[in-house]
Amino acid sequence: MKSIITTIACLILSVMSYGQEKFLTKSGHVSFFSHSPIEDIEAENDQVLSIIDTNNGAIAISILMKSFLFEKALMQEHFNENYVESDKYPKATFKGELINFSTLENNAEVTIKGNLTIHGVTKPTVIKAKIKKTEGNISLEGNFPVKVEDFNIEIPSVVVNNIAKTIKVTFNLDHQPYTK
Amino acid sequence: MISKGKVLLGVTLFITAIGIVVSISMFSKPHLDISNVDAQIVIDSNDLFKDYLTNETEANTKYLEQVIQVTGTIEDINIVKDKSIIALTSEDTFGSVLCHLDADKDHKIAQLQKGQSIQIKGVCTGFLMDVILVKSVIIN
Repeated sequence: MKSIITTIACLILSVMSYGQEKFLTKSGHVSFFSHSPIEDIEAENDQVLSIIDTNNGAIAISILMKSFLFEKALMQEHFNENYVESDKYPKATFKGELINFSTLENNAEVTIKGNLTIHGVTKPTVIKAKIKKTEGNISLEGNFPVKVEDFNIEIPSVVVNNIAKTIKVTFNLDHQPYTK
Repeated sequence: MISKGKVLLGVTLFITAIGIVVSISMFSKPHLDISNVDAQIVIDSNDLFKDYLTNETEANTKYLEQVIQVTGTIEDINIVKDKSIIALTSEDTFGSVLCHLDADKDHKIAQLQKGQSIQIKGVCTGFLMDVILVKSVIIN
């Protein structure tokens, strides 16, 4: 009888702890900023999906290209149709690892190593971020440069002076324990 | 007698002026105001989710960037950084139809409750764990 109770207790505990293993956000924020002498271009995306596995510090991020909202409708059209070809490549993804995740302290700087895929092109990428880590929340905040030509994104010569060759990508991902 | 040169100059100036006006108006073309646009597709949240789960690529050709009117049951209401997100149920345990509301037009949100049936119109931007609609407005 005792062993049955122990087994059940173990099962419940393992299920409970399993619920705490993954932290997730479906409304992460990613924006990018392009500065050029002619104009500044900014776009925001509030629908970013990001999942962290706290067992090993693995992280997976998925971004819908069509979810980037620009100030001007025409910029958004050009971005989707001509530059990132979002009908053909609807998502950007990042799969990687938060280095030394288990020993990281709250407000520490974390190195994230992984593969970034944009426009169907995958590049190894290292990103620095600030991590906030509490029992009910893991948030990552930071920015990193993305070279447009690294991802085979062609900018027509007519607008080559309007768009920066390196885009600043800023992110703020506020993960909660995944319970569902 | 006006010389040919002057006429040509006049015509050129006129065409250039039209060109400038057209390009300025195109450049400052406003974003779609969803509340004033008729939905291209009317669908139930279960069916929309099922279409995406079955074949995402095919669903994208059908729904991506379309104004979609979805009828569904409210599974959850979240407010993230002053922006409201309404999740509509699907038959799948893990996914839903996530409607991100236009920040300016969410005054109806306080009266909503989980389990309530609702109609929402928004622009589909694709599928992650859920089907995503942005710029959404509540119809009723």
